[in-house]
Formats: sequence, structure tokens, C-alpha cells
Amino acid sequence: MRVSCLQENLARGLAIVGRAVSHRSTLPVLGNIMLSTDRGRLRLSATNLEIGIHCWVGAKVEDEGATTVPARLLTDFVNTLPPEPIELSLVVRTQSVNLKCARYEANIKGIDASEFPLIPTAEADGMVELELAGLRRMIDQVAFAAATDESRPTLTGVYASFRDSLFTLAATDGYRLSVRETQLAQPVKEPVSVIVPARSMMELARIIGQLPPPEEEEPATVQVTVTPAGNQILFHMPHVDLLSQLIEGTFPDYQVIIPKSYATRTVLDTAAFLKATRVASLFARDGSNIVNLQITPGGAIGHPAPGTVTLTATSADLGDNVSEMDALVEGADIGIAFSARYLLDVLSVIDTEQVVLETSSPTSPGVIRPVGAGRELFTHVVMPMRPH
Amino acid sequence: MPIHILPPEVANKIAAGEVVERPASVVKELIENAIDAGASEIRVEAREGGRRLIRVQDDGCGIPAAEVELAFARHATSKLHTAEDLARIATLGFRGEALASIAAVSRLTMLTRAAEEPTGTLLRLEAGQVVTREPRGMPPGTTVTVEHLFFNVPARLKFLRAAATEAGHIHQIVTRYALAYPERRFSLVSDGRLTFQSTGSGKRYDVLVKVYGLEVAKQMLEIGGSRVSGSAALAAQPASLQPLNLEPIVSGYVGVPSLHRANRQQITFYVNRRWIRDTSLAYAVVQAYHTLLPAGRFPVALLFLELDPAAVDVNVHPTKAEVRFSDERAVFQAVQREVRRVLVDQAPVPTMAMPPSAWPSPEWVRRQTLVEAGERTARQLAIELHRPGETPARPPGAEPSPLPMLRLVGQLGATYIIAEGPEGMYLIDQHAAHERILYEKLMAEKATASVSSQGLLEPLPLELTPLQAALVEEYLELLRGVGFQIEPFGGETYLVRGVPALLAVGDPRQALVEIIEGLSQDEELLAQEREEELVRLICKQAAIKAGQTLSVQEMQELVRQLERTASPRTCPHGRPTMIHLSAEQLAREFGRT
Repeated sequence: MRVSCLQENLARGLAIVGRAVSHRSTLPVLGNIMLSTDRGRLRLSATNLEIGIHCWVGAKVEDEGATTVPARLLTDFVNTLPPEPIELSLVVRTQSVNLKCARYEANIKGIDASEFPLIPTAEADGMVELELAGLRRMIDQVAFAAATDESRPTLTGVYASFRDSLFTLAATDGYRLSVRETQLAQPVKEPVSVIVPARSMMELARIIGQLPPPEEEEPATVQVTVTPAGNQILFHMPHVDLLSQLIEGTFPDYQVIIPKSYATRTVLDTAAFLKATRVASLFARDGSNIVNLQITPGGAIGHPAPGTVTLTATSADLGDNVSEMDALVEGADIGIAFSARYLLDVLSVIDTEQVVLETSSPTSPGVIRPVGAGRELFTHVVMPMRPH
Repeated sequence: MPIHILPPEVANKIAAGEVVERPASVVKELIENAIDAGASEIRVEAREGGRRLIRVQDDGCGIPAAEVELAFARHATSKLHTAEDLARIATLGFRGEALASIAAVSRLTMLTRAAEEPTGTLLRLEAGQVVTREPRGMPPGTTVTVEHLFFNVPARLKFLRAAATEAGHIHQIVTRYALAYPERRFSLVSDGRLTFQSTGSGKRYDVLVKVYGLEVAKQMLEIGGSRVSGSAALAAQPASLQPLNLEPIVSGYVGVPSLHRANRQQITFYVNRRWIRDTSLAYAVVQAYHTLLPAGRFPVALLFLELDPAAVDVNVHPTKAEVRFSDERAVFQAVQREVRRVLVDQAPVPTMAMPPSAWPSPEWVRRQTLVEAGERTARQLAIELHRPGETPARPPGAEPSPLPMLRLVGQLGATYIIAEGPEGMYLIDQHAAHERILYEKLMAEKATASVSSQGLLEPLPLELTPLQAALVEEYLELLRGVGFQIEPFGGETYLVRGVPALLAVGDPRQALVEIIEGLSQDEELLAQEREEELVRLICKQAAIKAGQTLSVQEMQELVRQLERTASPRTCPHGRPTMIHLSAEQLAREFGRT
């Protein structure tokens, strides 16, 4: 193998695949990145057996070939090099890679490429095409609600469903639920629903953020394919493929969890609500992380006194805190308590100016939605806490 | 004081103390009689956990009218004739004590008809004395009704536990026999409600599903399924002609390694279809799972051993729950070997979807690191360690000194945190330390009466065994007090609507089951201890586990919080959270002084 490419391109490619490298695996080859030539480009690949990432880097290929080298050493070395062309060549006899860049030269010992697990790539067009930036936003709004605890595998995933023109992502950890829907440009031929590990989705969002901006006017897209066996999902992006295992099982029927009615509807300024919650969480974090909301409607019609929402948090050994906000309150007054962390999580992914909180009783779930998000429907359901 | 022979009623009452411990023991003795009588259908009925009434009805051979009274005499039995028979016992009962003992401490009614006689007999006894005897028409078989158990032994009566607990024990006994005798139909009616029924189909798996539930049964592996069913084989061979075979035939079911419990209670043994307790055999099973289970966890197993009756002595204890094997080692090895074999052969390989050569499941990788971590720490430091709690320098009466400021060094074997203080090195057990932090937090919250509970989006149904359900009922108020929103949902099912905020990260169902199992281990807690024990168990569930890799920030936060606790040196269960290695000790070990 003999290849040359630019230092900055290689460094960016290594950063993208680097997150799939597993440094603690019992299989040494999984701590390596595979370098191979592929149709006039250099392909970098890494996998931790749950996800696999390919990244193609523009290069001049003089000799075809493939090998694997330790990820950390290669990445750290390439990052320190000056922005000049790098020449890579494989010394087959010693299975080591020779790198030359400006006046630096190194030989890195590798493991034969045949020991590296095969990561399938996209062969044909995907099942569905999604716009990249929009998908990243959707993942940010949903994936955080998935469970981190491995004992309930289906809840550690994000449910993704394609039905006609509707694309839905949903995740829940049993205490809160995030659902985000959007319209597809093209309806899918047949409905598909899968559970993707939340970790994979978060990696996908991260990679989308690292991709170079598209050269054309058209927004960049990702082709999504579920493998015929139904156990893997492939995201085919410009220059990058991400393959993830799917979680087997049935996702809970989340539709029944979303309350259909409310007793109190409160419209708040998102930034103010987020800030007040952040302040309250300072006092709540050592206790059980509990924030109390007291929602009071304003005066009767014709008396334009605004409604108020008062946030309080108390810690036995730290002290307490009260913040007040104006709000548009419709319905009866109510006192309800939430986990500060859950509120922070959802409020920080809402990008509209105003947010609505719908509540029914101190023990039934609260619903949080952005105001004026149009067709990009986002619904977050969170169970209140109950102090004794 | 002259020596004299005790009158029979006193002797019976003493014997009853050994045989009849609680209502469940009566059920056990009566079921054994029914089985020995060849019954194919056995109905058990209990009221108020067996205190009010226990009735066992069978369709067995019955007792001829002329022998009915004799059945209640001590050492009267039809199952044994000579002392030699004792060496080859194939029936469950043989001592001839049970009926006499039960009759001595209750009001007992027996209705029985031998198949070959035209009419049956009704016999009523009170405290062992016959009150009524009359002929009765009835189908063949025997029905024994025991009412007001221990009415004449107030001391015993006082020690009986809540009705639900006793009912749980009876349930356990009935299911135990149902598993041993799948070809007989067992049913249990408790307070008028049918709580258990086996099909009598002869298939052990059917009973297994009924007893353990389909969910668990699906995760059980069968041992020796292809062999001839034991009792048929035993009956076929004339016992005296066969050479004595000391090697048992092992059959039954064991759970896959992912199915594990907090205690050994789910490892059960039957020898020649008799339920027994044997810690050494339980150890053999646990050994067979060596390295397959996380530390401190135990498998689920149900094993049936078939042995030549001559090779096993069941006459060790009046309740026959313990037996002695003539070749204990052979039995131990056979159990271990069979369990290990089925685990190795049948354990479902974790499904791998990507190229099969190199895709171990994350679970396997985690287990592997766990195992390796254990090996690394097993190499003992040859250093004289002393625990900070034992420092002699402390003046008497002084408050235990708080921890000095500690500087984090790193993590060892994904289990211990290494930190440096002004007086040397500290090894901190991450699980124990976190337990301590959570415990103090939760107790402080409780003191201000504000333990908060995180609601669940969907109420979680929790199906429990009768014994667990009885415990939950007993602890219901305490569980609510610490933040579980839990309510009965009919039968042995409970609905969980919320959990303590501390537990809101993991699987609430698993956490609650573990806590209940923990509670079942100490039955004799005083009321005020129970609450603390409950809090301790919650903290144990919520605390980070050994084998969990922590980031530097996480470790720093843990050490910082530990510094702020009131008694940082022990976990709530009293184990040390840290080991201190002073600078002088280190210097001495390295020969620098």
C-alpha cells in the first residue's frame, strides 16, 4: 500500500472514526484503525462491535492495500504533524506503516488487516433519505431520555419509525419520554421500525457535527438502510458510513403515556425557565435533585396581571432558593415537583422562544412542548416527583 | 425426685414439638401420607395460614376401619416392618409419629375409606383423645382436617408469624411436592381462593412453569432429560439383586447464568423425590457456575437425585429435611459434573450479528474484565495492613476523627480507589464508600421527613412469590415511607408507581425484587431495625458496583463526598470502606528505615 494525502484531511478522518475505537477490548485489533485503499481514496475504519465507522479521505493512491495500526498512536502522531502532505506506505514484511510528512518520519507497527472485523458498507441506495442537520437536531432532542442502565436493553435505545411520510424518534427511561416527529420528503414504501442504541445515535449526531460543510447549495443528506436481516442499521453520509447494531425487542407503546388532556397550561419564556431551573438545581443537587413549581394564574380577563411560576429548591445542608417568572397560565393553580436534571435536559434542547408546560395534578405526568415549532412536533413527558 | 416414664400425651406433645413446627409442617406430613397412599389427586386447603384449618384430601388407598385408631398411636406405621427395612426406605414417611404428633396439638378429624371396604370411617380427636367415631359413606381415600392447631400449646401459637407468611410457607411446601410428583395433581386453596394447581400430566416442565412462572422457566436448562424417569427405573429393578450403586442419577433444571439471585434459597434438591436441605450440595452447584456469575450472586437450580435407597440415610432428623449419603463425595461430584456439563453444552451463546469470528457481546467483555479484575487483586499484598478504624493513637472518648483531605491517585481493578493523604495511602472500596454516602444522605432526608419519590410513566406490575408478597405486605408502610409508591393489585401482584429518587437510574423492578430478597434474609428484625435495614438495602442497590470503571471526576466527587460523611470509615453494613497504609509502614516495607 502506498498512499498520500493531506495532514488536515487525515486528522479529521481519524477524529471521526476514533470514537468507535475500543481501547479496553480483549481483542487487540479493535484498538486499531484500519487503513485501506478504496476506489482512489483512503478509507479509515474502526469498530467496537456495537458501532462501526468508515471514513473516506481524499488521497492519491499509488499502490492498493490494507492494514491496521494502533488508533491512539496514529491519531496523536498525525495531530502533531504540520499541515503538509503525508506519505503512507505499508512495509508488508514487518506489517508496519511508514509515514513521511515534511521532515518527520515514523514507522508504526500494525496488525494484519485480515484480523479486522468486516464492517459492511452501503451497496445500493438507502431505504430513506434524511436531511443531516435536521436529523442531528432530532437526535439531540430525543436520545438523552433513553435509559443508561443496561438491565433494560430496549430502553437504552432510540425507537425510530418510518411510516408513510412520517418519521418518528422516541426514547424513554421509564421516568420521562421524548418524542419527535417530522415529515419525510418521500414516503417510504413499507413501514419500518427499529430500536437503535442511544449511544450510536449520539455518535451519529456528533459525526454530523464534524462533517465539513457541503460544497453544493443542496443541504447534505444521509441515506438510512436497515440490513435485510434486520439486526443492523447503516447511515450513509458524504464521506462517512456509520453502522450500528440494533436492539432486539419491543419498544413500549409510548402513545398511551402521552396525556391527552390537561388542567393547567402554562406558557413560559424558554430561556428564563432554563435559567431559573439551573439556579434551583444548584440548591437541589445534593438532595434528591427536586425542584418545586408553584403555578398561579393571573387576574381575570380585563385585569391584565400576568400569571406567575415560582421555582423553589431546598437542601438540608446548603440552603434554599426561590425564583419567580411571569407566565401565561390557563386553568387552575397547581404545585408540582420535578427532578431538576430532567427539566434541564429537556429545556436545553428546546430552541423556540417559548415553551408550554401542561399539567393535570401533582402526581400525573407533565408535558413540555416548544411553542410555534410547526410541523416539527416535539413532545416531552416527564413524571413529577413526590415529596413525602 | 423419682424417675418415671412420661404419660403418652406428654410424650406426644414433646414429639410434636419436633415434627410440627408450624402449619406448613402439618401440610408436609399429610401430603407425604397421601403420596405414600398412592393418591393421584391431592387437594390442600388452608384458612388463615393454616391456623384455623388445614385440610388435605386424597384419593389414595385409605385406611381399613379396623386400623383407624391404630394410625394415631405412636410408632404405628404401615410403611416399615423390621429394622432392616429402615436401610431401604422407599416411602416418604416411616417413623409413625406424624399423625400422633399432629393429633396431640390440634382438633383433628379423619374421614377415610379403604377401597375394598363398603363404608368409610369418621374419627374425631381432640388433643390426641378420640371424641367421636362413626361409620360414614364416602368415596375411597382419606381426608384429614386439622383445626385450631396449637390450641393447647400457647407458647407455639405465640411464635407463629402473620397469616400471609404462614400461607406462603404452605404454598412453598405444596409446590415442592408438586415438582417432585408431576404425575399427581396437586391443588392448594388458601382462604377460599385457588392459589396453585398442577396438571398432573407427568411432565415436570409443566409444574415448573406453574411454580416459577413462564418467564423464569424459559431460562431454565434441562439436565438429563433423556434418561428413564427415576421412579420407574427404581420400581423395575428388584432392589436386592442389584449391586449397590452409589452414583446418583441427576436430573432437573438449572438456570442460565444470566438468571441469578441474591441468595442460595433458589437452589433446591430432591433425593429420591424427597425435598432436602444440603449446604454442601448447594456449594457444588455454585461451584459449577464458577466464573459464570457475578460475585455474591447465586444460581437458580432444581435438581433431582435418584439413588439406591440403601445408599442414603433419611433417618437423620424428624422432619427428614436432612439426609446422609454413604458416599458423599460421589454425590457432590456427580451434581457438580452434571450441572457444569449442561451449562457448557446448552448455555445459549450470546447472539452475535456481525461477522461471527470477532463479535463477543458487551456482557461477555464486561464479565471477562470482572474476572480478570478479581485475579489481579487476588495476589495479596504481603504488607501488614491496618484499618484506619483501629488506630490506637486516638485519645479515649474523642470523636472519631474525620477524614483528612485526600488526593486522588487512581482506580484499581475497577473496584478500589487509591488516594493519598498526609499520612500515607488509602485504598477505598468504591461500592462501600458510595453506600455510606447515600446512606447518610437518605437518613438525613428521612429526618427532615422529605424522602422524595420519582414517579414512573407507566405503573409497573410486580409479580411476586407468595413468600415475597407476604413480606411486601408486612413492609408496605415502611416501603412507602422511603419513597416507593406501591400498592396491592390483587393476589401476589403489586403495582409500583414510583421509586425513591436515588433508584431512578436503574431498573426499578429489579431493584425492588433485590430489596425484598434482602429483607427475606433476616426475618427476626426488630421494628425499628427494619426501617434502617430497608434504607441500607436501598443504598446497596443505588450505589455504584464493583467492576465499574469510573472517570477521574467521578472518583474525585466520590472521595470529596466521603470526606463529608459523619462516619466515612465503614459502610452501613459495618464493613470497612477503606484500608490505610501509613507512610511509616511503606517505608518499613521498603527497608528505608
